Amino acid sequence: MRLAALGIVLLLLGFLLGAWDYAESSYATQAGWVESQPVPFSHQHHVSDDGIDCRYCHSSVEEGPYAGLPSTHTCMTCHSQIWTGALPLAPVRQSEQTGEPIRWRRVAQLPDYVHFDHSIHIDRGVGCVECHGRVDQMPLTFRAVPLQMEFCLDCHRDPAARLRPPEMVTRMEPLRWTQEQAREFGQRVLTRQHINPSSLDDCGICHR
Amino acid sequence: MTRPDQPIAHLSGATGRQFWRGLDELIDQPEFRAQLAERFPALARHAGDWRRRDILKCLGGAVALAGLDGCERAPDEEALPYVETPEGATPGIARYYATAFEYEGIAQPLIGKTREGRPLKLEGNPQHPASRGASDPITQAALLGLYDPDRSAAPRRLGQPADWALFDTQIAELRQQLDASAGAGFRLLTGPSRSPTLLRQIAAVLERWPQARWHAWSPVNDPSGQGQRSPARRLLLEQAHAVIALDADPLGPGPLQTWHATGWGARRRAYQQGDGAAQLLVAEPTPTLTGVTAGEERLIAREDRMEALLQALAARLGLTTDAPPLTVAEQAWVTKAAQALADQRGRGLVLVGEHHPPALHALAQQIDMALGNLGRTSQAVPRVRAQSAGSLRDLTTAMAAGEVQTLFVLEGNPLYAAPPHLGFANLFVRVPLRIHAGLHANETGVASHWHLPLTHSLESWTDGEAADGSILLTQPLVRPWTSVRSRHALLAGLLDDPTTDRELVRATWSLDGPQWAAALVQGWIDTPTSVAAPAVAPPQPAQPPAPPRQPGLSLLVRPDPSVWDGSFASNPWLQETPKPLTKITWGNVVHISPALAADRGLANGDLVRLAAGGNSITGPVWIVAGQERDTVLLHLGHGRSAGSRVAEGVGFSATPLLGLPAGAEVRLTRIEGHEAVVTTQHHFEMKPDEFVRFVDTAGEALPPEKPKPSFYPPQHSKPAWGMAIDLDLCIGCNACVVACVAENNIPMVGKEQVAKGREMHWLRVDRYYQGSPGEPEHSFQPVPCMHCENAPCEMGCPVNAAVHSDDGLNLQVYNRCIGTRTCSAYCPYKVRRFNWFDYTGDDPPELKAARNPEVTVRQRGVMEKCTYCIQRISDARIAAKKEGRPIADGEVVTACQAACPTQAIVFGDVSEEDTQVSRKKASGRDYDLLAEANTRPRTTYQARIRKGAREA
Repeated sequence: MRLAALGIVLLLLGFLLGAWDYAESSYATQAGWVESQPVPFSHQHHVSDDGIDCRYCHSSVEEGPYAGLPSTHTCMTCHSQIWTGALPLAPVRQSEQTGEPIRWRRVAQLPDYVHFDHSIHIDRGVGCVECHGRVDQMPLTFRAVPLQMEFCLDCHRDPAARLRPPEMVTRMEPLRWTQEQAREFGQRVLTRQHINPSSLDDCGICHR
Repeated sequence: MTRPDQPIAHLSGATGRQFWRGLDELIDQPEFRAQLAERFPALARHAGDWRRRDILKCLGGAVALAGLDGCERAPDEEALPYVETPEGATPGIARYYATAFEYEGIAQPLIGKTREGRPLKLEGNPQHPASRGASDPITQAALLGLYDPDRSAAPRRLGQPADWALFDTQIAELRQQLDASAGAGFRLLTGPSRSPTLLRQIAAVLERWPQARWHAWSPVNDPSGQGQRSPARRLLLEQAHAVIALDADPLGPGPLQTWHATGWGARRRAYQQGDGAAQLLVAEPTPTLTGVTAGEERLIAREDRMEALLQALAARLGLTTDAPPLTVAEQAWVTKAAQALADQRGRGLVLVGEHHPPALHALAQQIDMALGNLGRTSQAVPRVRAQSAGSLRDLTTAMAAGEVQTLFVLEGNPLYAAPPHLGFANLFVRVPLRIHAGLHANETGVASHWHLPLTHSLESWTDGEAADGSILLTQPLVRPWTSVRSRHALLAGLLDDPTTDRELVRATWSLDGPQWAAALVQGWIDTPTSVAAPAVAPPQPAQPPAPPRQPGLSLLVRPDPSVWDGSFASNPWLQETPKPLTKITWGNVVHISPALAADRGLANGDLVRLAAGGNSITGPVWIVAGQERDTVLLHLGHGRSAGSRVAEGVGFSATPLLGLPAGAEVRLTRIEGHEAVVTTQHHFEMKPDEFVRFVDTAGEALPPEKPKPSFYPPQHSKPAWGMAIDLDLCIGCNACVVACVAENNIPMVGKEQVAKGREMHWLRVDRYYQGSPGEPEHSFQPVPCMHCENAPCEMGCPVNAAVHSDDGLNLQVYNRCIGTRTCSAYCPYKVRRFNWFDYTGDDPPELKAARNPEVTVRQRGVMEKCTYCIQRISDARIAAKKEGRPIADGEVVTACQAACPTQAIVFGDVSEEDTQVSRKKASGRDYDLLAEANTRPRTTYQARIRKGAREA
């Protein structure tokens, strides 16, 4: 009888641990998982090798809530000149001919009850790399960090160490700052822009 | 069942302020309470079957399992970028276009918000005087009309899907025939549209085929089908310091509501500031929004007493000598009205309901003329159309004579709505070729050879006339996604004219490029010739002999405040909006007076047969406090049998009793049976209190409240959001309610769920009565979330889903909420709404497209409530931060505030003294609802002012 009770307790404990482990697993958070895409687009090639700035393709990142995906025409500005016959680019050419959009699969994706605005983060000096990782080192794009609430809150509760000058926002390599220098810069930004971290973790900032 | 013939007597002795919401509440305390107890603690019925421990066990299990929900892997989503980005289109950024929406012949100036090409919200055009940013519920709901999944998507021939090519060939044949016969046998029947482009096209049709005839008709303007009714005047209520309304309802629902209510609101606000008066005296047989706004100055009088009242008023003002005999109450009212008019010479206005005969209107204008009001508080409206369009009766006469070979019904639904004495339905099916064009395959569409789907106003190019006479341009907010054509395209097709809609509209106005672009940006055309002609009182026509006063019942048939004449019956936002005065949703009733109900032994919901003129209808009765004893009121627009799943089977049709001659005998007989009428009037009941407070005159203050001690520290933040609702300005029109639905993705739950008290409206408009059921005083009170500083809901939530933000918002975090509903139980204002079911998951794609992407779509099992439009606050905050400035006063406008025609709702930062909202709250009329609860609500109210003028 006692053994049975112990068994049940252990089973429940195991179940809970398993559930916890699952929720934190990269399968559930999709961190590090490469999505299969219609075109095997390499950020590494376009960013590192070609030196194209993020904003060339993700053009609305400074204005609106969404960074935006490039239109087929944006791709074709270059690819009507180079790699014009490349097999992997067939879907892009097909899209231009038919007028049907390319169906990408989203990599960085938040739940529907989270309202994230890119433009204000860029404006305050949060670098792309903070959430999207070293995109310049990704031959195929994957989610760099588990985009869980904890991750957002870490920064919202202590933004100072993660802010950078506006011109450095799209820079992928780490800034050559010591922790103290970074924090000092961040503190100056907080003061100048009247950012109050104590209200940055209000639920209503993201959930509405 | 409660019956009003039981004791109402105790009321007559009652003194002090007593609010009641319905007769049940007033009469029958124990039974009513038992009913409420059964309805509200939803599990009360099962209380005997469950033991407390079982419930706790299940609750524990449910909580444990609910945690698993978070482990679900997010589904893969696709992202589809543009192939070529349209100019200026940035994903996630809204764009705004000036446009218009026409109903009942009046176009409403609008600004349409679109995102990613989808229209998402309509607001009044703030630059246009006929709107000043406000709108009415029907206009607000037009957005859902665009996305209606039951709209016709392709032509139908004999009830079977067909294509436009076939129709075009048939039209070509018809055109040849008409050319040969000069149009003999061709009849066009339109609605009341006043679109100049449409009128120009109709003129072209009549010019090409001189034998063709055009008829214009609407059941609201012209219930009997005889032709245009009394000439209407354009009212300038902003200038009217004293308004005497005889069975007229200028503030009531309809296409002129925004125009009239903005004018009245402006006048009333000026009066509050000490500028002039804002008196409203109303005599009417049944409560209307105008009548209940008049408060104490409302006289209950039968419809056929209006003539006597007006004559007495004219006599009292010395215009005529023969004063008819009046009752004491009527005498007193006429004396007051005459006094008010005499005090406000040149600033008064005498109004008569549109359905009254021309002689009465002429007399009212004569009074206005004599007092120098004409041209100042009202203007004449030139009627262009009345000369050329025939009436519906002309059409049925021709149909009966077999002269009609082809009938083209362009908009409208005469088969459902035509008055029975014309016999339209029988004549219609004998017409050899019947073509119907409309948004839905309604009763007329089903009985036609061809049903042609029309574009919705928000996806077409057209023009129209606003309430102030200016010309509005309608530009599409979206391209049609189904195979539909506009009414302009149909007429152009008939004439074999290949011009596009856009060019047709442009050709009407012959504007050059820059002028056209400027007109599109502002939404209207600057016409040099002001349409407002100087008003001259018309010669008084010979007085027709007044029908002898009938001792029996007097029947009124009016458009429904929600679904109008049935044109909007397929719109659930309107069907579920509680009607302003009865709070009935999803259906209509036979409105009777408490005295009549007592006489006949009728209770709410009892079925009756109402017969007149050889026809009858059957429906449930509803007892309306403040209705004239022998008056019976019906609403049009219900009892539809075709057109849309939402419209069909709701209520009964009042059409059989439409267009009766004045004084027709009306018989009301009780029949077996009872129908549950769904009303929200007892839902979300608060603890008794002095909900609506009054002061006597402007400038008077409420007695000061002692500050209440509290354990909680006062909150200081910047900004601190707050709202002020001025009950003296609220006319109960429901524009705020529908605007909130549109902005915040509020699901509609249907009749059955509303009956259970599960409607989801975040903002409700409570209607209270005071005094006796025969002559009560009405008040309205919009109740959104109060955003209490010491919010009881926050203390109750076991999972911390109800939390407070730094800027004073009381937040509800949907993803934390596990649905214990504790917060709702703790909320003294009863403003929280629970998602009992998944109301949205199975929505068709059209409805999903209509949702505001800036607001979360809530799932089953979570609590929700008014957020003070937090998405609009966020937008303003982000914009201000990017520009490095504080949020300006008036930058955040909530959806309800934007829609309100009288500006009764003001929102802003209460931490600054110099904001609009702080100035409102500083008024002596400001008070907290349920002050005793000491929740320190951020939403406060301003007391109603009883008088409309200062005491001399």
